[in-house]
Amino acid sequence: MVLSTFGSTAGLPAGPAFGGFGGGGGDLTADRAGGAIRGTDAAAAPAPRLESAVDAGSAAYRANVEAHRALVGELRAKLAAAALGGGEKARARHTSRGKLLPRDRVDTLLDPGSPFLEICPLAADGLYDGAAPAAGVIAGIGRVAGREVVVVANDATVKGGTYYPMTVKKHLRAQEVALENRLPCIYLVDSGGAFLPMQDEVFPDRDHFGRIFYNQARLSAAGIPQIAAVLGSCTAGGAYVPAMSDQAVIVRNQGTIFLGGPPLVKAATGEVVTAEELGGGDLHSKTSGVTDHLAEDDEHALSIVRTIVAGLGPRAAQPWPLAPVEPPAVDPAGLYGAVPVDPRTPYDVREVIARLVDGSRFAEFKAEYGTTLVTGFARIHGHPVGIVANNGVLFAESALKGAHFIELCDQRGIPLLFLQNITGFMVGRQYEAGGIAKHGAKMVTAVACTRVPKLTVVIGGSYGAGNYSMCGRAYSPRFLWMWPGAKISVMGGEQAASVLATVRRDQIEAQGGEWATEAEDEFKRPVREQYERQGSAYYATARLWDDGVIDPLDTRTALGLALTACANAPLAEPRPYGVFRM
Amino acid sequence: MFDTVLVANRGEIALRVIRTLRRLGVRSVAVHSDADADAPHVRAADLAVRLGPADRSDSSAAESYLRTDLILAAARRTGAQAVHPGYGFLAENPGFARACAEAGLVFIGPPPGAVELMGDKINAKNAVRVAGVPVVPGSQGGSPSDEDLTRAAAEIGYPVLLKPSAGGGGKGMRLVRDPADLSAELAAARRVARTAFGDDTLLLERWVDRPRHIEVQVLADTHGRTVHLGERECSLQRRHQKLIEEAPSVLLNPETRAAMGEAAVRAAEACGYTGAGTVEFIVPGLDPDLPTPSGVLDFFFMEMNTRLQVEHPVTELAVAVGADTAQPRRLDLVEWQLRVAAGEPLPFEQDDISFLGHAVEARICAEDPDRDFLPTGGRILHLAEPAGEGVRVDSGVTTGTEIGSLYDPMLAKVIAYGPDRPTALRRLRAALAETEILGVTTNTGFLRRLLAHPEVVAGRLDTGLVERSVQQTPVLLAAPTEHAGPDGTEVSTVELLYTAAALARQLSLAPAAAPGGWADPFSLPSGWRLGGEAAWTAHHLRLPGRDPVTVRVRPSTAEILADGTDNPSDHTTDLQVRLGDGPVRRARAALSGHRLQVTVDGLRSTFAHTTDGAPFHRTDWLGLDGDAWAVHAHDPVADRTAAGATQHGALTAPMPGTVTVVKAAVGEQVKRGQALLVLEAMKMEHVIAAPYDGTVSELRATAGGTVAMDELLAVVTATEEAGETAPTAPSAVAEVAS
Repeated sequence: MVLSTFGSTAGLPAGPAFGGFGGGGGDLTADRAGGAIRGTDAAAAPAPRLESAVDAGSAAYRANVEAHRALVGELRAKLAAAALGGGEKARARHTSRGKLLPRDRVDTLLDPGSPFLEICPLAADGLYDGAAPAAGVIAGIGRVAGREVVVVANDATVKGGTYYPMTVKKHLRAQEVALENRLPCIYLVDSGGAFLPMQDEVFPDRDHFGRIFYNQARLSAAGIPQIAAVLGSCTAGGAYVPAMSDQAVIVRNQGTIFLGGPPLVKAATGEVVTAEELGGGDLHSKTSGVTDHLAEDDEHALSIVRTIVAGLGPRAAQPWPLAPVEPPAVDPAGLYGAVPVDPRTPYDVREVIARLVDGSRFAEFKAEYGTTLVTGFARIHGHPVGIVANNGVLFAESALKGAHFIELCDQRGIPLLFLQNITGFMVGRQYEAGGIAKHGAKMVTAVACTRVPKLTVVIGGSYGAGNYSMCGRAYSPRFLWMWPGAKISVMGGEQAASVLATVRRDQIEAQGGEWATEAEDEFKRPVREQYERQGSAYYATARLWDDGVIDPLDTRTALGLALTACANAPLAEPRPYGVFRM
Repeated sequence: MFDTVLVANRGEIALRVIRTLRRLGVRSVAVHSDADADAPHVRAADLAVRLGPADRSDSSAAESYLRTDLILAAARRTGAQAVHPGYGFLAENPGFARACAEAGLVFIGPPPGAVELMGDKINAKNAVRVAGVPVVPGSQGGSPSDEDLTRAAAEIGYPVLLKPSAGGGGKGMRLVRDPADLSAELAAARRVARTAFGDDTLLLERWVDRPRHIEVQVLADTHGRTVHLGERECSLQRRHQKLIEEAPSVLLNPETRAAMGEAAVRAAEACGYTGAGTVEFIVPGLDPDLPTPSGVLDFFFMEMNTRLQVEHPVTELAVAVGADTAQPRRLDLVEWQLRVAAGEPLPFEQDDISFLGHAVEARICAEDPDRDFLPTGGRILHLAEPAGEGVRVDSGVTTGTEIGSLYDPMLAKVIAYGPDRPTALRRLRAALAETEILGVTTNTGFLRRLLAHPEVVAGRLDTGLVERSVQQTPVLLAAPTEHAGPDGTEVSTVELLYTAAALARQLSLAPAAAPGGWADPFSLPSGWRLGGEAAWTAHHLRLPGRDPVTVRVRPSTAEILADGTDNPSDHTTDLQVRLGDGPVRRARAALSGHRLQVTVDGLRSTFAHTTDGAPFHRTDWLGLDGDAWAVHAHDPVADRTAAGATQHGALTAPMPGTVTVVKAAVGEQVKRGQALLVLEAMKMEHVIAAPYDGTVSELRATAGGTVAMDELLAVVTATEEAGETAPTAPSAVAEVAS
């Protein structure tokens, strides 16, 4: 009898009682399949609205506005300069050949009016003596034929589109974005290949040039379409970009693909041949079969690419329910005034949250516990998000609260948004004794192991272990941006100088010497200067430690676009965390 | 009165008749070709019967509205006791009138004998002359040979007018001023008469210069009473097609009016007329430099139309019974046609009838005044008809109606009434400005401007005025090329249209508002970019006959900064717009239904707007003050890549129609101006001629085949030396007949 009972129970189809467990639950799954839009729980029980407590008439507010304007003015100037690529002469030469400039290529490729979420527009800023604006390649996410895609467009006005180390890094970052978010890749190729003088930093290592083609193979294998339009040179290694693509377009009398160009062929075999004969559009479309579509010019090629994308078939359903978009109730324009530029000036991070989230509605979690970390649920452009935001130094309670909240979001399939403004974990005997290291480790473990997409915006300081627990670059957030005044380093310049000075003084005094205050100041100044320089957002973005420096007023739009891009990839199944040290 | 009446017609006149039938409580039966299966007149009627061959679909008039047997069968099936023929088709066909009588049906019109007599121009003229009605000197009866006509022309004196004896409505008439042209014109006129009427008998008469077309409405019962309902002046014509009609005529003094009325009544009585009919007269224009003569002016009988006229509404609005009484009564001419046909006597006398106010009618036709009035076609995508005090619209179309080359190009008539002529003219102009017909090019704006022509306003009309004005003072009648711009400047209409179309297209980039739905930020046309400035969205546009342009639109920087992708496309969004390489202008746009409001540099214009709904490369239609423009999408890529396919010397169809003759073959050497093929469309024959000396390298047209507008018909490859001289026009279009 008992056996029979068990047997019949096991044979039953999984009913609602079973569907309630596991990843997201049966009801939620049904909603996702149904097109992702539904009347939300929030509509029935809306989260309370945040209100701003700042005084828009205060001197501090006005000073903040002025400071932000100056920072954003500098940012815009840098972006505008980088957008010009290799300069007026190179641009004129480029267009005189009937070629579109790379940004015009992107604009022509994208759907009319489509936003373009550019990745690392200031890559290589200040590097290579300023020879490679934007690292000579444009990358970002835009919409083509109704699909979100990653576009990578070489800028041939920058050293012939050759690959500097940061060019390689940016190209690989774009492919990583495509992989994580399952976005088709479109390569607008116009490049002479590796920048030969720096071949040691470009060619041999794991994350160097070859990785581009490794990624193309792996992306294609993962079902992520790889499409190339050859709009100029595709020399040597570059030849593999179209060759490794699923579908390739080439422009007649303009695009060329060859492993060795005419000079190299002549040197090697003595054969004299023109570039067009060696690897032009006619050859590759009619004879070699390296390309699949022959275009008459850039616009034609781009329209062929659009047709290809239109035929890619449907994207995956959004992995979380979406709600109607509501602009923030607290005017985002007040961000400049509400947020002090100096990261040392304390303020309530809810002033930022109120200006980023839909309707300024925020369902806060554990508001009275571990108050230096603010956690809660909100929506941005209709996407659900769990927000983790610093409101001071991290204590053990803050870390525990953060770990708990990340687990909640993970279980519910809600993307995480980290608003970083953190000097680090609290130090001192009492805190070490309280096990702050193991509590911090719990939060770091949760951040590292969660399956949900993570977005990070560094809105102030990003220092030390705080960077780790708040999803710094090493924790693979899907996107990471910095505000122009943000700072990033292992610790603050002053603290680093003091630490080093203390060690130095101890050494000197142990040897019986004396260290004058003036000498100590002299010792500390270069340390401070080094940290100041290396800690700036531009130093960071030049090296692709982030995905871009953004105007605080662009944050909400960037987040909305990024979350929409993230929603192209299904959520991973729930997976175990590492050991939480208790 | 009848229980059931079949209306053997289509379009506005069928609807017009059905309206009266409904008001009188008479069941209406519509007939229709396959093409008209869902036409407004079919929807309006109580019953409808298909006309056409049983085994296939053929919507030509010859196989539908001209098929006496099918119409009589339809009357039998539906129990109709009477047939109203409308105008055109079988309205003046004595055979049809007779067949009705033989089938036991009442033909709502005069006796077949009267139709027959008046249908023969020569006999008609003889008959009325005997009755004492003055006629224009002309050839006498029978079937005159070319020699007879040449002799008669010499006797009467040039210029002379050739008319098909069996024709009507101006179709196939030809004016000859030079005796040397006569033989060629005779041949052409006979050919048209033969194809159009199956009878190439011609008559000839003296041409009266600066003539005015004034016609008198008559009404006769079966009890011996014939009255006239005053005149209508229809002098505003183009190629013998009436454009504007009005009642009363400003030319006539009371004595002439009375004399013409009496003459009209005599003419009607001469042929034993019953029902409603119209006696058309030609009246020499007055020299404005001479004092207006008193007494009865000259007038000559031209012909009698034994049917209801297109322009009958002006009489219905401007004439009343008992105008001087407390309760003047206007007449519904269709009602009186029915009553007379049912045997009722007219209850009023001539003395009871007089004018009460003034009425003017404009005929809206599917033709393009900018392309020499060539017939147009297409689907009516948006239709808004005017309304208001003193405004009447007799329309045969509705949104969705397909206008092809099968039937008459007239879509609707707009009629305005006022206590005096200036009021009526003003109201009609306003009504035409309110008329929105998008999807099919019409003459609405042209008619509106014609009504403001100084000569028209002054009442100095003649039947050549329109054509003279088109040639001599085209600016008075052409669509305005400039509009008031900001700060007292002028912007070209073309620029305004391109800007408006681009803004409309920008607005439509936003996804359709799904109430309560999620708006994908990538789908909103914000052009958002990092760094504050949005990307331009390029709209490639082309107005027919103009060079394509690119209009760029983007949200202004301030909008993007505030919150770029939240709601970038509502009417409060500040946009920037740039036409070609022109200056960047500030703009706003709002689209609400078919109203497009466009504000550029602070100046707002309101257009009627719709699109053809095409998913790619859609066409935007813009309407303003009765004018309408199609702004097409221009695909620069397709244009360039197809450059090899479209060759210089490609001849395309100037309008939709049927190829009647193919006169050339592939490989044939042709001379510049040599006719390659003849296209018949609407009421015209168009010769497609070689643009230069060369070889016919491609020939797509076949005789009898139908072609769409702008369809490639033939390609002529220039011979080398000829190729160096620029061709004049890609397709030389010669009008043969109107």
